[in-house]
Amino acid sequence: MSVWIDSLLAVLAVFLAVRCLLAPTLPQCVFLFFAFGLALALAWARLGAVDVAIAEAAIAAGFLGVLLIDALRDFAAPRTHGETAQKPHFLTQVLLGAGLVVFLYVALEAVWNVPDGGGLTALAADNLPRSGVDHPVTAVLLNYRSYDTWLEVGVVLMALLALFATGGKELFRRPVVGAVDPLLRQVILFFTPVLFLVGAFLLYLGKTEPGGAFQAAVLWGAAGILLHLGGWPVFAAMPRWTRQVLLTAGFGFFLLLGFIFMSGGSALFEYPVAYAGVLILIVETLAALSIAAALTAIFAYFNGMKAASVENEIPDPS
Amino acid sequence: MEAFFITVCLFLLLNICLGLVRVWRGPTVADRLLTTQLFGTTGMAVLIILAGYLGELTLLNVAITFNVLAILLVICLVQVWKSGAKGGEA
Amino acid sequence: MTPAEIVTVMLLVAGCFFFLAGTLGLLRFPDLFCRLHALTKADNLGLGLIALGMAVHIASPWAALKILFIWLFTLMASSTSCYLIAKFQRGRAPKPSEASAE
Repeated sequence: MSVWIDSLLAVLAVFLAVRCLLAPTLPQCVFLFFAFGLALALAWARLGAVDVAIAEAAIAAGFLGVLLIDALRDFAAPRTHGETAQKPHFLTQVLLGAGLVVFLYVALEAVWNVPDGGGLTALAADNLPRSGVDHPVTAVLLNYRSYDTWLEVGVVLMALLALFATGGKELFRRPVVGAVDPLLRQVILFFTPVLFLVGAFLLYLGKTEPGGAFQAAVLWGAAGILLHLGGWPVFAAMPRWTRQVLLTAGFGFFLLLGFIFMSGGSALFEYPVAYAGVLILIVETLAALSIAAALTAIFAYFNGMKAASVENEIPDPS
Repeated sequence: MEAFFITVCLFLLLNICLGLVRVWRGPTVADRLLTTQLFGTTGMAVLIILAGYLGELTLLNVAITFNVLAILLVICLVQVWKSGAKGGEA
Repeated sequence: MTPAEIVTVMLLVAGCFFFLAGTLGLLRFPDLFCRLHALTKADNLGLGLIALGMAVHIASPWAALKILFIWLFTLMASSTSCYLIAKFQRGRAPKPSEASAE
């Protein structure tokens, strides 16, 4: 019976993805993408991957949504995709198609040939008591495979650095539109601490249940973005050195820890068993803070960039 | 009881499918955003029901995540679109 | 069926009715300002009834507290966002009646 829910979700996700790609106007594309995010989050929940479902919910409904709505304003003029775009070359189409077929084949092959014992599942479960946490996903992310997680924290920082490189870092200084409406002010002031608390809750929950640093980071970043939208540019208002410390704390502390224990003779990112739990919690908190700061900065940057270009091209009527 | 919960979930999901028509037709960005808000609420309802029916209470955390972020998109639209660039769709 | 199950079934069915009403209203009403009305029904009553029904079914105080918070936050977010969207649209469209032209 529950196969009906699963089939409906599968059809809905694929349908929305195709519709989103083929939508004639940008607003349709963006808002179908939000629906697609919801369908994906529900699908992950049905698959039992609650960690991914929370991350998908936070990123699709929160951060990506804000970025896309912000971008939509710049491109909101009623122009269609097809007007200026040339028809793609025949060879390009063939190559793209062939690449897609190969990719699908590799993906299907990988799914089909999952080892009977579930690969490393048994090994991961056996070592769980030594990892310092009780939730296997957190153990994999922060202990067994912390090298990957370290680089992922770095990728977010890298995205921000790429933005700085393209447009300079002065855009932070631009004044933001304040929230004049009293109700808007109140709702922002109410939801900011709520976002912070729910983020902290998810971060702490990561020790035993689905949750963790990335989900918490998106919620904290959303709190920063909310304050920025309300006219309190928290990130931009900080002193320069605070911003730098905040942005690099997660990446840096992770690396420092790796070096310290490597100099003690263990492998890179191998924690001593006795301190693993508390070390993981510190690393997660700092990583979440760094990612949240980077996400806030990315949004503030795009927002400022748009304000700059609008001022140059379209005189504001007010 | 199980069949009942699944029926309710299916019904809510079909509601989302129906609402897609409004996302597609618009006509304004605000209309589309409104429909997305309804999708979010429907998704929360589905998650709460799934949490009860599967006994997987962590799914409530997914619902909470959707829940606290629901207001963000609206505030973003209202604040970001407030000035300038009036050439877009109404 | 136990009394608790009957209560759950009734509350869920009532919640579904409001979700259907909200969706149909969103599709059928002529302009944005009418559609706001449809949306708040689904948000407040639809989710509220379903949340209450499931809280009865799960029967765990911690889960019930979470569900209560989900509903309270949704009440707050949906009423505020409807006000904000309506004000936003008023500021853009000259008059509400003109915005109805599709």
